[in-house]
Amino acid sequence: MKSIKAFLIAILVIPALGLILFGPRSEFQLPDNRIVVVDYWEKWTGDEAMQMQQIVDEFNNTVGKEKNIYVRYVSASSITQKTLVATAAGVPPDIAGLWDRDMVQFASLDALEPMDEMAAAHGITSATYKPVYWKACTYEGKLYGLISTPADVALHYNKRAIRESAPALRAAGFDPDRLPETIDELDAWATILTKKDSNGRIQQAGYLPIEPGWYLAYTPLWFGGQIWDAKNEKFTLTDPKVVQAYQWIQSYSHRLGKEAMTGFKSGLGNFDSPQNAFLAGTVVMEQQGPWMANYIYNLKPGLSTVKWPREVEMTKPLAERRENYEWGAAAFPSAVPGLKDVTYAGFDILLIPRGAKYKKEAFEFIAYINRQDVMEKLCKLHCKNSPLANVSDDFLNNHPNPYINVFERLANSPNAHGVPQIPIFAEVMQELDTLTQSITQLRADPETGLAAAQVRLQAKYDQYMKRQRLRRATQR
Amino acid sequence: MDNATEPQSRLSKNWPVHVALILICAMAIVPFLWMLSTSLKTADTAMEFPPRMIPNPIVPGNYLTVINNPKANFLLWARNTLIVAALSVAGTTISSAIVAYGFSKIRFRGRGFLFGLMLSTMMIPFPVTMVSLFVIFRWLGDHTGMMWLGTFKPLWVPAWFGSAFNIFLLRQFFTTIPDELSEAARMDGCSEVGIFLRVILPLARPALVVVALFAFMGTWNDYLGPLIYLQRPEQFTLGLGLQNFQSQHGGTPWNQLMAASVLVVLPVLLLFFLAQRTFIEGIATTGMKG
Amino acid sequence: MMRTEQRNLLKGLAFISPWLIGFAVFTALPLGLSLYYSFCDYSLLQPPVYIGTANYQELWRDPDFWKTLGNTFYYASLALPLGMIMALGAAMLLNVKTRGTSIYRTIVFLPSLVPAVASAMVWLWLLNAKLGLINAFLIWVGVDNPPSWLEDVRWAMPALVLMSLWGVGNTVVIYLAGLQDVPRELYEAADLDGAGTMQKMMNVTLPVLSPVIFFNLIIAIIGTLQVFVGPSIMTGASGNPEKSTYFYTMHLYNHAFQFLHMGYASAMAWVQLLIVLVLTGVAFWTSKRWVHYQGK
Repeated sequence: MKSIKAFLIAILVIPALGLILFGPRSEFQLPDNRIVVVDYWEKWTGDEAMQMQQIVDEFNNTVGKEKNIYVRYVSASSITQKTLVATAAGVPPDIAGLWDRDMVQFASLDALEPMDEMAAAHGITSATYKPVYWKACTYEGKLYGLISTPADVALHYNKRAIRESAPALRAAGFDPDRLPETIDELDAWATILTKKDSNGRIQQAGYLPIEPGWYLAYTPLWFGGQIWDAKNEKFTLTDPKVVQAYQWIQSYSHRLGKEAMTGFKSGLGNFDSPQNAFLAGTVVMEQQGPWMANYIYNLKPGLSTVKWPREVEMTKPLAERRENYEWGAAAFPSAVPGLKDVTYAGFDILLIPRGAKYKKEAFEFIAYINRQDVMEKLCKLHCKNSPLANVSDDFLNNHPNPYINVFERLANSPNAHGVPQIPIFAEVMQELDTLTQSITQLRADPETGLAAAQVRLQAKYDQYMKRQRLRRATQR
Repeated sequence: MDNATEPQSRLSKNWPVHVALILICAMAIVPFLWMLSTSLKTADTAMEFPPRMIPNPIVPGNYLTVINNPKANFLLWARNTLIVAALSVAGTTISSAIVAYGFSKIRFRGRGFLFGLMLSTMMIPFPVTMVSLFVIFRWLGDHTGMMWLGTFKPLWVPAWFGSAFNIFLLRQFFTTIPDELSEAARMDGCSEVGIFLRVILPLARPALVVVALFAFMGTWNDYLGPLIYLQRPEQFTLGLGLQNFQSQHGGTPWNQLMAASVLVVLPVLLLFFLAQRTFIEGIATTGMKG
Repeated sequence: MMRTEQRNLLKGLAFISPWLIGFAVFTALPLGLSLYYSFCDYSLLQPPVYIGTANYQELWRDPDFWKTLGNTFYYASLALPLGMIMALGAAMLLNVKTRGTSIYRTIVFLPSLVPAVASAMVWLWLLNAKLGLINAFLIWVGVDNPPSWLEDVRWAMPALVLMSLWGVGNTVVIYLAGLQDVPRELYEAADLDGAGTMQKMMNVTLPVLSPVIFFNLIIAIIGTLQVFVGPSIMTGASGNPEKSTYFYTMHLYNHAFQFLHMGYASAMAWVQLLIVLVLTGVAFWTSKRWVHYQGK
């Protein structure tokens, strides 16, 4: 008994002491004799985080070395909230890499430093960016952030599954090589491509709105609608087009059954894994961003590089390169005749929180990222399109995403929309998420659900603005 | 242990009790086994359905993967937790003992009232003071010339001002120590501090161990505190790190997540087996966990 | 004599001074501040602005306030009684003098040692609708369509309750201690009266145990109103699906640290404190009828 006790104490205390004394430290050694350390917090984790690390290292070895700046890069999930709390605590990072939707919330809380002057000094103006992206980086006439990498959303499809159902598609009067261009066609394709087993369980879904379900709040865009009227500061959730969009989302629960919806989704596994529904082939068509090419390439070579290895593929012209893939990307179909190339153009944004110690130096790094060569390099690593107005031929031709020109075209489209600029957008998303869950579970009717959400959100917004005015008024 | 004096009942007579207890124990133990089992599976076999309880093949490498994972830094997080725990344990034990001595061995006016006040503070939910504490620590950061928020200080400094529950626990124990002992020491010219250090503390060792254990468990289990006060991943404690590890983009494979969870749970279990009796008696006599 | 009294007062205050200072700085001051903030608009980034009772009025109109309050009470109404029955039942079984009790007791206690974050991870995996062990078991015993637990509005809350039952080992130990204090003579007297097992439990065990039950009830009420870690890790910041596991403290936390509505969060915190006070008050008040303190 005694010896067991001694043994237990030993295996507890020795590693504990060892860790405290010799364990890894969080203290940080400044390399060479640089003066300024710029703290950069980034929300990416995994490959995307590592790829940014590469760019950060390059900065530290070149421009940073010249200008005596060292960027200390940290990536962690749920960084949005941590940044906000750290800013409120008075200990913010110098740069925060967040989502597009965070910018307006932060700006309206006075949690950001505007960067107009610094941008102008570096020659970064509205002409630098594609219009949709520049517009989303400015709020109330001020530039609050610049993009690290952008994205837009397109229809991704599984060529193999479509080929297998080609006879059925033809029989229904469709050309399997011409992807659906309208929502009606998409629905018809989805029905044909959906396969059930003898028990009625879905084996393969043609289309499933909840997979991955990241952009459901933007669905009205493809119906020609918007959820927010910026000019009048009013939500427009009861707009017939918005209602139509949510009815369309719900139609899939009617068609496939709500039980199948949850049961099916939970079986799909993680996004970043071979169990991903699109990679596993259980969903034939889905809404995704350009980075999907990377995930497909890394996780399921069966859909990528089917003919040649990548080195060989890259020597071929773009059109031919696409034969190397069993997946493809195209503009997502729209419900309105003549409304083409609709997309939600989202992005990852670099912000300087209020109270940051080294604003100017932080902007040096942001400006570095926004150099065309650096931006194109990073976007290639992430497999994304570019936010910049100028795009090099090399970027278009040697991009690892064989469908890059689809994404570029979408980003330049007049029907590309950025995130709606609502200071309470986090609450909007929460409300819409809940709404989507209840309508896909057939627990709510889209029209009444949206009407209720409209009332709640408008009240929240009005309340918020009332307080905002009060706050601004008391600040001398 | 406590039933050693009882003549052992025959198994047959009590079989329904045994069956019921075995069922209850199965429910208690299966989640542990499931966690352990998944942590030893490959990513693929972890996703098998119906699942196997005994992994095939057995992959202990998940633990190394987790420890060496570039997305996580478990050793650093463990070190952070240990540092906070060490400071909190020392603080809670020392300060609670001092205060408990005051509440139990010195008669002064208002003692009853203050003790009651202290007990009633145990009812205050943490969220009530959470926001203002954040503001107070920010103020301290602005006025003491050192950083508070974004450091471990908000997590351990309050521990040095006694914790109501532990003071209560120690006071209960101190009152069982006969006053004659301290009186005798006082006769010998011993000061109050001397009595506390030389008479009471040595006798109170078991109770102090209980307090230290509870304080350790409290820190090891704390999630909301670090969530609010720590923002940098290199400062995370294990709980926060584990959550961060899990919530990463696209999710983390279950086998690795379970391996990480085992790493977080294991030290507590070992500690428990080491001090089992102290633990159980501590909880039984005070009726609460730290 | 006056001198000793004063000296003792000084000595006493000196010894309890750590707590006095801690109480002032880390309890009384924050309480006062949060009361003040609850009447302010305060984002931490701008100085607080006094707005009267606006936060409380907004709270009254906030559907999520009612939703989370309702959810919290729903959870409490399941978890409290079930936990109590389970714990009491287990304690009584463990109190039967038989072989192996100490092993059983250890095993029953173990889950309550698991840190909340870790147990959230394990249960997330156990409750996984497609791959989890629980549904595997249910299918094995012949349930055709086992619930999707955390993904189903109706089952998410019961799932969390199930998880909470896993951690009752703590309470079991407390009851066990209480049971071992039941005087043997009382049982012997009951035996003489020819009482059965059930009668003995109702007329001897429960009354003697009532102070312990009462104590645990208070602790459980306070604890349940603060549920945060489990659901916020397992079902996301707003308690998916459809806010069915959105708890009061999560809502409070979101307002404080996601939206920086510190004033609003403070108002919520004070309402929470009042609820705790009222509930414990009620528990104390009714306790006169059912709690029997032994005349020790």
